Amino acid sequence: MKLTIEELKSVRFFDNYSDEQLKIFISISSIKEFKVKDILFEQYDELNEIYVLLSGCLSLGISLPKEKRIRLGTLEEGQLFSWSAVFSPYISTAWVMATCPTKVVAIDAKKLNLEFEKNCGFGFKTMSKIAQTISHRLSDTRFQLMNQLTL
Amino acid sequence: MLIDKNIYKPIRARLTDVIDESPLIKTFVLVPEDKFSFETGQFIELSVDGIGEAPFTPSSSPLVKETLEVTVMKTGYVTEYMHMLKPGIFMGIRGPYGRGYPVDKFFGKEVLILGGGCGLAPIRSLLFALENIKDKLEKVILCYGSKTPSDCIYKPLFDRLNNTEKFEAYRTVDKADEDWDGSVGVATALLNKIKINIKNSIAVVCGPPVMMKFGTIRLLEMGYRDDQVYLSMEKNMSCGLGKCGHCMMGEFFVCKDGPVFTYNEIKHNSEIWK
Amino acid sequence: MQYKCIKKEDWDKTLEQLLLSYTIFASVENEFGLDYELIKPVNIARISYNKPKPATPLKSFFLPVKENVTSDIADEKPRIILGIPNCDIEGLCLLDEIYLNIDFNDIYYRKRRENTLLIASDCFGIQEHCHCLSYNIMPYSVKGADLAVINLNGTIVFRMLSVKGEDFVRNIPAVQSPVDNNFISVVEKEHLVTETLLMASGNGLPDYKKTGKLVSKEQGDIWEKYSSRCVSCGACTTICPTCTCFLLIDKPGFEKVKQLDACQYPGFERVAGGEDALFELRKRFKNRYMCKYVWKPEKFSSLACTGCGRCIEACIGKINKNELFTELAK
Repeated sequence: MKLTIEELKSVRFFDNYSDEQLKIFISISSIKEFKVKDILFEQYDELNEIYVLLSGCLSLGISLPKEKRIRLGTLEEGQLFSWSAVFSPYISTAWVMATCPTKVVAIDAKKLNLEFEKNCGFGFKTMSKIAQTISHRLSDTRFQLMNQLTL
Repeated sequence: MLIDKNIYKPIRARLTDVIDESPLIKTFVLVPEDKFSFETGQFIELSVDGIGEAPFTPSSSPLVKETLEVTVMKTGYVTEYMHMLKPGIFMGIRGPYGRGYPVDKFFGKEVLILGGGCGLAPIRSLLFALENIKDKLEKVILCYGSKTPSDCIYKPLFDRLNNTEKFEAYRTVDKADEDWDGSVGVATALLNKIKINIKNSIAVVCGPPVMMKFGTIRLLEMGYRDDQVYLSMEKNMSCGLGKCGHCMMGEFFVCKDGPVFTYNEIKHNSEIWK
Repeated sequence: MQYKCIKKEDWDKTLEQLLLSYTIFASVENEFGLDYELIKPVNIARISYNKPKPATPLKSFFLPVKENVTSDIADEKPRIILGIPNCDIEGLCLLDEIYLNIDFNDIYYRKRRENTLLIASDCFGIQEHCHCLSYNIMPYSVKGADLAVINLNGTIVFRMLSVKGEDFVRNIPAVQSPVDNNFISVVEKEHLVTETLLMASGNGLPDYKKTGKLVSKEQGDIWEKYSSRCVSCGACTTICPTCTCFLLIDKPGFEKVKQLDACQYPGFERVAGGEDALFELRKRFKNRYMCKYVWKPEKFSSLACTGCGRCIEACIGKINKNELFTELAK
């Protein structure tokens, strides 16, 4: 399935990129579809792609011994996930599962890193957005933890 | 002119119904004996005869004058007694006190309500008030999080709001159970899915202290100005009259200057934010 | 300023007659020092004039430790309180702002206020911890009371301070206008002596506003140091002319009893969820000074500390707030 610039522009993560920069994403991405209960990746999987949720619903969590899945969060449209694909050791910190028919933008992480080396400005902008995603995710997780620790 | 009304004397209200919302939460339906009305966001001091009183923000519509509803969580001495009460007895009401939500300042705006836990009770009252003026509002979005699915009271509220023009309501839980198929995570994570014009928006945050802190910080990061964020601050409101000193928060008496404040008014208070 | 005078023996006789229609409290010297006593014919001669200061603050006459605030107001004989130091008169201004507030008027407090004639007494001399002048409060009243009284060598001189005071004095047959103004210079000389003593004792103590700034800024261990001997007994708040925090206790029949409370007691700010912003002693300790010197001044025009020094005298841990402020000011 082919991505278009208009489609990317309507997604929150791709705000404030120029058309040229969006074309870079298009050249290294594809649209992937998942059905209910499809596992996009497991905790500790090696990751090659970084994803942005276009439509649908995804649950995120960790696994305990004896394969009990604990749901810890839900991903919303426009959100980036699988960011570990961009940093060594490229290992996932959680599992992600589709809980309804879902469409994502799948960006080739190795090719993205090559683009960062070619164009530092683009690299800095994208890494900043990824850092903000992680920061919010951490802040929300702390909030969730605080709720369990306090009344 | 100084008036002769006794500010300490409660009016009596007959308890006509007790609704079980959850194992720890009940809603009391009261019919005051004297004329009584409140603005959404104001609070009352509700007393059990001879036992004690505690502050509550009514959870019912401020437009309904004959009755009011107060949602009470069993959490201490007085509320434990309240939970043992049966319809037919009289309770005492002092109030209404404080500064409620200035809904006329919301005209022409998109209203974002970020709520958590027990904050849903005053939020419910605010939603009734906003429904009444929805022609004057652009839209109203509720993002609400509870610890578990069973901690969320007023469950029919969400479907009803999603079927009301200009209203959207989203729910999430910190910890899902087997049957839960909705969002998991905190209310601030729900902010990722909403579409809102922040420049023409008002945000209201209401919930336990953890929610107030994290929620406000996230809203400011999103681009809300200090005077666009309304907070309902909770303190040990006791007299409700700005006299007994228990609810002082810096130079403010929460019972008189609040409980609704803009972030702008209280951002310098290190007690809350540090 | 308008003055009237009366011979002391005539004043004593007048007081005896006034007992028929007034309840009178006056400053009397006892084995422990000075304090108010209920006046009867037998103790009129022991009334102390111009000596600072009664141990009980004036607030105790208007805010009893415990009172029922839902019962009917009892009709009481009008009262005279005689021998009030100016620090307490100034303290009453803050109480008036809180309890006679236009939005929420306390009818019990108001009835007592209207029912009481306040006769202040110029202080000739100071007690060890007096520091009213450091906060720009004079050791004599020129407003706020109904009358001020000075005992000058067998003559009682009244300073008229209100219409109520003027009416009261007008109804005393033996009162006359002073023959000459010589007494004024005598009184002013006494004032000067007292002020000199106050300036010496208040040396190094920052003024009210500066104290607020110092307290606000200070985050360090000084609070641990000074609160280490505190046992949260609440003596300071009980004896303070401007501390009025209270509890409302429910009694059967929807009656309420108002009882004085103290921010120094643990649990003062505890909420149902269990959080207690003032759980730590050092926080409670600092909070009281923040309240008096930083926050109350933002809300009220009257001072929340009048420099009477009673908190220093009453503290069983011998904590001296003036030592604390002097140290902060260094």
